[in-house]
This record gives sequence, C-alpha cells and structure tokens, in this order.
Amino acid sequence: MKHVTLYALSTCPWCMKAKRFFTKKKIPFECLDYDLVSDKEQERIMEVVNQHGGTGEFPFVIIGKDGINGYDPDEYAKLLGIDK
Amino acid sequence: MNVVRRKQDLRFLFEPIVDALGYKFSPDEEIVDFLLEQEVKLEDKHGIPFCPCQAQTKQRDHDMKIVCPCIPFHRKHYDTMKRCWCGLYVHKDVTDPDSLRQIPASAIK
Repeated sequence: MKHVTLYALSTCPWCMKAKRFFTKKKIPFECLDYDLVSDKEQERIMEVVNQHGGTGEFPFVIIGKDGINGYDPDEYAKLLGIDK
Repeated sequence: MNVVRRKQDLRFLFEPIVDALGYKFSPDEEIVDFLLEQEVKLEDKHGIPFCPCQAQTKQRDHDMKIVCPCIPFHRKHYDTMKRCWCGLYVHKDVTDPDSLRQIPASAIK
C-alpha cells in the first residue's frame, strides 16, 4: 500500500471529508493540520507541498509520490487502486 | 464575541460584494454556516476573516489574496470551478453545489 500523507487545515470542511474518506476506507494515513503546528513546521510543510505542485490550497494529499490538491476521492481511489 | 451575530454580519457584508462578481452564497446552508463560523474564529484570532481552506504563509502579498471574499484574486480559477475554493460561494446559476469539484489552480490553463 502506498504511503498517504494528508496536509489539512483544522478549519476546512473538505479536509475533514478527506480524513473521513481514508478512515472509512481503512487506509492508514498520516495527517498534519497546518494551522495547528509551529511556524517552523508550517515552513517545512509548505516546502513539501510546493515540491509536489501545491500552492497552499488545502486539503493536500500525497499518495506515494503523487500530490493531489483538493478533495478528490476519485483520484485518491485511483492512485490507491481501490473502489471509490 | 457573539459568533451567531458576527456570522450574520459577515453575510450582510459579503453578499453585495459577491453579488456584483456574479456569485452567491452556496445553497448548501450547512456548509455555509460551518465556513462562516470558521471565518469568525479566524477573524477573532487574526483580525481578518481568512479563507478557512487556504494556508496563511505570513507573507502579506499572499495572505491578502485569501481574505474572504477572495474571488477577485482568483477570478479565472473560480470561474472555471463555478465556486470559490472553500465552496462558500458559487456562481449564481448553480443549484447543485455538490456537483462542483475542487480543481487545483495549477490545472487551470
């Protein structure tokens, strides 16, 4: 199974939907709420997001080596090889 | 802070602005209420009602572009999606907001 990292904002309902998607599908995932971490950690997250083509819009999900910007369950399922 | 009152205030303030831009509040009242509540909290914390779904970077030129309603700074992007990034606003002709997807800005040509 590919490693899944979800970068989220605690204020974002689409981030919550993404969390629910992976939880419901029983996909292990690492989740970090950008707005709840230190300034230094925010800088690190933004570097990672930018390296994967993101621009600061959340949710931002990394599945394996692929970055997905926004809540996109079809794309999550496709990259994980599971049913939507 | 009276959150309920402030949510009403933000609705009153934002409605004529987005109306002039061809947008309206999403017909999904549940998400509108949730997003406005987050904006009230962000305004209480930062003094500004930032978009609840975009990251503040502490760079003023970037952060000012995610102050709600941020439609003018992302016009082409949002017009393509027929919604703003967080979904608080949709194009006036939208009746089914659930049908609208988030499309990354980088995918807009």
